[in-house]
Amino acid sequence: MPRGEPEDLRSLGARLDAVRGADARKGGPPPTSLGIAFRFGTELGAAVFVGAGLGWLLDRFLHTSPIFLIVLFCLGAAAGIRNVMRAAGELNAQAASSPATAVTNDDDDEEEK
Amino acid sequence: MAMNPMEQFEVKPLVPLHIGGYDVSFTNQSLWMCIVVAACSAFLVYAGASRRLVPTRAQSMAEIGYEFVANMIQSAAGEAGLKYFPFIFTIFMFVLLSNFFGLLPGSFTVTSQIAVTFALAAVVVLTVILTGFLRHGLGFLKLFVPKAPIYLLVLLVPIEVISFLTRPISLSVRLFANMLAGHTMLKVFASFVVLLGATAVSRTPWFAPLSIAPLFLIVAITALEILVAFLQAYVFAILTCIYLSEALYLHDHH
Repeated sequence: MPRGEPEDLRSLGARLDAVRGADARKGGPPPTSLGIAFRFGTELGAAVFVGAGLGWLLDRFLHTSPIFLIVLFCLGAAAGIRNVMRAAGELNAQAASSPATAVTNDDDDEEEK
Repeated sequence: MAMNPMEQFEVKPLVPLHIGGYDVSFTNQSLWMCIVVAACSAFLVYAGASRRLVPTRAQSMAEIGYEFVANMIQSAAGEAGLKYFPFIFTIFMFVLLSNFFGLLPGSFTVTSQIAVTFALAAVVVLTVILTGFLRHGLGFLKLFVPKAPIYLLVLLVPIEVISFLTRPISLSVRLFANMLAGHTMLKVFASFVVLLGATAVSRTPWFAPLSIAPLFLIVAITALEILVAFLQAYVFAILTCIYLSEALYLHDHH
């Protein structure tokens, strides 16, 4: 049964790819708005948490009570914002590379104008 | 009646075991991890057994999974990333099947435990660090030095280091919190059915049929949870790819 003509199958595959569009199967599903919000939230929160945690630990071992906690808390907040900027950049690159979402975005913009 | 929506996340020992003062009991958690791994292996071995040119249904499901992950790695981490296919495919399938098995009534959601997701994330980040040092030696540390004037580096290097250290935490917390929130929500809405029904029967019997209204919401939320289960597995895998690509190419890839 699997002894079909390979040439036929190959040309069928080529035609299917042409119909689907070359990279229709590439790239994952577009992220939901809730997913994006969750991603930004955890990126920001985790950085502040790690910064403050590191500062607290350093203070504990070096007996320099609030100095490292304060400094690293601020650095953690900065790192969180850096994380969110990086995540937003990734999402933008993803949206730009998949034509389907880019087209719908353009439509939305025109309707708003 | 058990109305506690968090009860489903309780880890209960099935076979108590203590070795060297540590509690290493075989729990419902371990049981469901074994079930997930066994189901995944059984499916892939069965699907891969018949190597047909025209695939059977199971084989084509396995092929779709393979192509999906291979494309994801190639687009996020390039050709060099394909060497890590077994690692990323394993993580993706484990998280995906854990999330899906957790949706079965009466099951245990492995990925709703921060211990599991953090262990997964720690393995990912350790792999990234090892890859980076093996490929670039100490040059991997350039990842923490952005292009900036030297006086700003005093500030920027600690920020980059903290930013790197947040990865295992944000990776694990995102998966764990999504699963925890979704399953808690399902349980809370399910308890509304019972509460509304019981209240209506004892006070205003003609309201009783209304108590099935939350049931329709549960159907909708279950559909959403299936999407979330897939999406979180995808996000976990794609972030692994992105982190790996940074370790593989340092900054010059993007």
